[in-house]
Amino acid sequence: MKTPDPREHNTRIEQAGASDESIQDVHAILAREKPEPHEGYSPMPLFVLGFVSAIIFIGAIYIVRHRAGFDPLAYDERYDPSMAATNAAPVKVDPIAEGKKLFMTCAACHQPTGQGVPGVFPPLVKSEWVNGSEDRVIRILLNGLSGPVKVEGNTYNNAMPAFGPGGYGWSDEKISYILTYVRQEWGNTGAPITPEKVAEIRKAVGQRKPWAAEELEAIK
Amino acid sequence: MASGTNLSESLNPATSSEAVKRAELSEIDASTKIPALFFLCSALGWILIGTIFALIASFKMHTPGFLGDAEWLTFGRVRTAHLNAVIYGWASNASFLVIIWLMARLSRSLLRHPILLLTAGVFWNVGVTIGIYGILTGDSTSIEWLEIPPYATPLLFVAYALMGVWAVIMFRFGKSPHIYVSQWYILAALFWFPWIYSVAQIMTIWAPARGTVQALVNWWFAHNVLGLWFTPIGLASVYYFLPKVLGKPIHSYYLSVLGFWSLAIFYNWAGVHHLVGGPVPAWVQTAGIAASIMMLIPVVVTGINHHMTMIGSFNALRYSPTLRFIVFGAVNYTLVSVIGSFMSLRGWAEITHFTQHTIAHAHHGLYAFFTMVMFGAIYYILPRLLLKEWPSAALISVHFWATAVGSLIMVLVLTVGGFHQGLLLNTPKLANTLGLQPGTDPVPFLEVVRVMNKYLVSRSLSGILIFVGHLAFAVNVVWMLLKPRSAEVTAPTLFRNPPEMEVVTR
Amino acid sequence: MNRAPLLFLGAFFAVAFSWTGIILSNQIAYGKLTPVIDQSDNKAYPLPISGQAQQGKLVYQDLGCMYCHTQQVRRPGYGADDLRGWGDRQSVARDYIREQRVLLGTMRTGPDLRNIGARQTSTEWHYLHLYDPQLTSAGSNMPPFAFLFEKRKIVGEPSPKALRLPPAYAPEAGWEIVPTERAESLVTYLLSLKDTYTYPDEARRVYVAPAANPEGKK
Repeated sequence: MKTPDPREHNTRIEQAGASDESIQDVHAILAREKPEPHEGYSPMPLFVLGFVSAIIFIGAIYIVRHRAGFDPLAYDERYDPSMAATNAAPVKVDPIAEGKKLFMTCAACHQPTGQGVPGVFPPLVKSEWVNGSEDRVIRILLNGLSGPVKVEGNTYNNAMPAFGPGGYGWSDEKISYILTYVRQEWGNTGAPITPEKVAEIRKAVGQRKPWAAEELEAIK
Repeated sequence: MASGTNLSESLNPATSSEAVKRAELSEIDASTKIPALFFLCSALGWILIGTIFALIASFKMHTPGFLGDAEWLTFGRVRTAHLNAVIYGWASNASFLVIIWLMARLSRSLLRHPILLLTAGVFWNVGVTIGIYGILTGDSTSIEWLEIPPYATPLLFVAYALMGVWAVIMFRFGKSPHIYVSQWYILAALFWFPWIYSVAQIMTIWAPARGTVQALVNWWFAHNVLGLWFTPIGLASVYYFLPKVLGKPIHSYYLSVLGFWSLAIFYNWAGVHHLVGGPVPAWVQTAGIAASIMMLIPVVVTGINHHMTMIGSFNALRYSPTLRFIVFGAVNYTLVSVIGSFMSLRGWAEITHFTQHTIAHAHHGLYAFFTMVMFGAIYYILPRLLLKEWPSAALISVHFWATAVGSLIMVLVLTVGGFHQGLLLNTPKLANTLGLQPGTDPVPFLEVVRVMNKYLVSRSLSGILIFVGHLAFAVNVVWMLLKPRSAEVTAPTLFRNPPEMEVVTR
Repeated sequence: MNRAPLLFLGAFFAVAFSWTGIILSNQIAYGKLTPVIDQSDNKAYPLPISGQAQQGKLVYQDLGCMYCHTQQVRRPGYGADDLRGWGDRQSVARDYIREQRVLLGTMRTGPDLRNIGARQTSTEWHYLHLYDPQLTSAGSNMPPFAFLFEKRKIVGEPSPKALRLPPAYAPEAGWEIVPTERAESLVTYLLSLKDTYTYPDEARRVYVAPAANPEGKK
């Protein structure tokens, strides 16, 4: 390969009878350019064929294994239509663990630490309402609480939604789990609450507007 | 290829077929000048606007109160404006520029009907402008990658239709008997994009599909914007500029064919991996994941083809700006695609889905691959349009290092950060094993937010670096447009002077 | 490859194939889905979306909430969605059939909102959280949406809707912060988001691990 002087090329192009000015402008920029690209024809390496086959094989196996019966209503790739969906054995429930999961809902206001937000949402930690009378705390959960309430010496004025009838509609079990959790977490010392006790109070009060603090203070 | 042993040529250099070809190419380049410059300037404007939106959105992620009172700049809007400005503004305009120039050259035909292209360009840019204005004022459709409000999309569609018609005409009147691999990609992309765009518009906005089928349409489209529009244009550029700058043929035609068709067949199934674990049939997710695994075929094949072409010429990276950008992009294409295949796997997606990991991947593909290839192409094309040299090699150097380092930092930080985020969010067991959290509970959400802060701040810093690169680029382009043409024979603007780089003709 | 028609034909079939497989087949399958009537309360699930919630959804869309909040719950055991209390079961296609626009989302900068209406029913909480997320979730990186609220002079009785803000955030005396119509409809929409009913057809199609064999026999 020779290395010609670019200017020599320039002259050659002009000599080619290119009278058009734009062509005469083709100085070094175009002349120095490499030829237009084209393809070589090196044969495909053998390992590429092997690789392609292997990938196609893996892909096919993946589809067959995770096809879930091609059922549009199946969202779990492990589902197999031939496997009759037998119910798993009922699991024994740990109220604290269940309550902890449910507490996600409460944590939005009372915070994951149970400390609440000063001036806005009251704390649960050491709260006399939480650790005190079962009858009161179950009523708060079932029907909600609204208006000013004094907790650990500070007054809060906000609304807590009902978790019983007319509100979240939680079952007696769920309410007993969450209360048991809250009464025994963060060094709280309240006794566990049974679903039966919740059912009893639910029956007694039914659906009603949220409680006011004074109404509850009347209950022992 | 004309060989130096041609008898008539050696007798009379004036009739040299190579010289005639050069004259022809110069006429072709000149004929593309006006439309190509129009798209270049549009693309340049949009990348600056898009980067500013990106910086605002990025600051907001770690400092939520930043510009918090401006409703039109709330995170959900400014992030969307960023995406649309860079996708439909920058990347598409840059694609049009490359398409015009490559189609004309590869068809070996003077550019016909430039008015068609200019009309398309005006429609497109007006459409994108109205669309982004609509997004900022609250008319976003909230369908990812299709946020442009329905009153602006017909403009985009018309623009695209004009562009397609033009390409078919160019191809029809082309003189080249052979369809070079870059042209396969360009023609297919020009055919695919309006199709998927109109189907997606119809099935999500004009006559919405039922329930979560919309989500399937959405991701079938959004993934294909990358797969059937930007990737083909990016690869077409690599296939052209790599052999062009090196003056060597592409390694293997057979690998090119295999790479093209496996991409065409597998890429468009892969989009469903954005919905893994979601309310779409398990078998469709499986098919999407399988297709993502299959994507290793075109990626590895194309990677080998490029690498084998490049082999023995790595030294040229020290001189040629075009080559450096293009090779950086091509390497990242291989990387991002291989990572993408693994990200789609259910076990991996369980952790990284819904996290910054995805954002890292998107920037890896669209920036570190596509955008860098477009920069490389522009560094080659512009001197040939204007018949001027780039004014400053230093600015090119700043541009390269700022964008390359910036984008790699961003991708790295968000890949790692997203993985961390996913561990804390989704797998209490794994997070416990790694000692990230005691007990068996998920980490509190606000704790995850706190942990992410340092990654998000680093991302903003990398964004600033990238913005500096874009400014250097913009200054260089504007300077080049304004400076007078030299009457002398000029030398190319390279990073450093090579022994015999680019001056060698044959 | 020098034949253009072949190129176009191949390109056409490649994409037509994926469109048929991913979109058409599922449009046919999900087009047939109907709401399920719950015998115990005689309501058709998923529940219809109220007009005000629909308005609120438009606010949700125009502010781009979905870029940080998903609306899809992954199945228990895949991710920790259930452990976070975001939902007890996998979101299924039937949950979305009444929706004009499905906003699944792909990013969890913030928590999933598919069941926010069951997780957080307090309107007051939502207003405070939108007004400034630091009020209810200190350290959050959610932007404040104070522009959805109006500060106005109290004329006569204070509005019952006025936000009860802690002193550091409260406006000067004689003024109050009230939610605008957009804030009200947005909160109505958020409260309407809950998939509480489990559809029998989908529930039958979950994976049940083979029961452990205590005897250790085949």
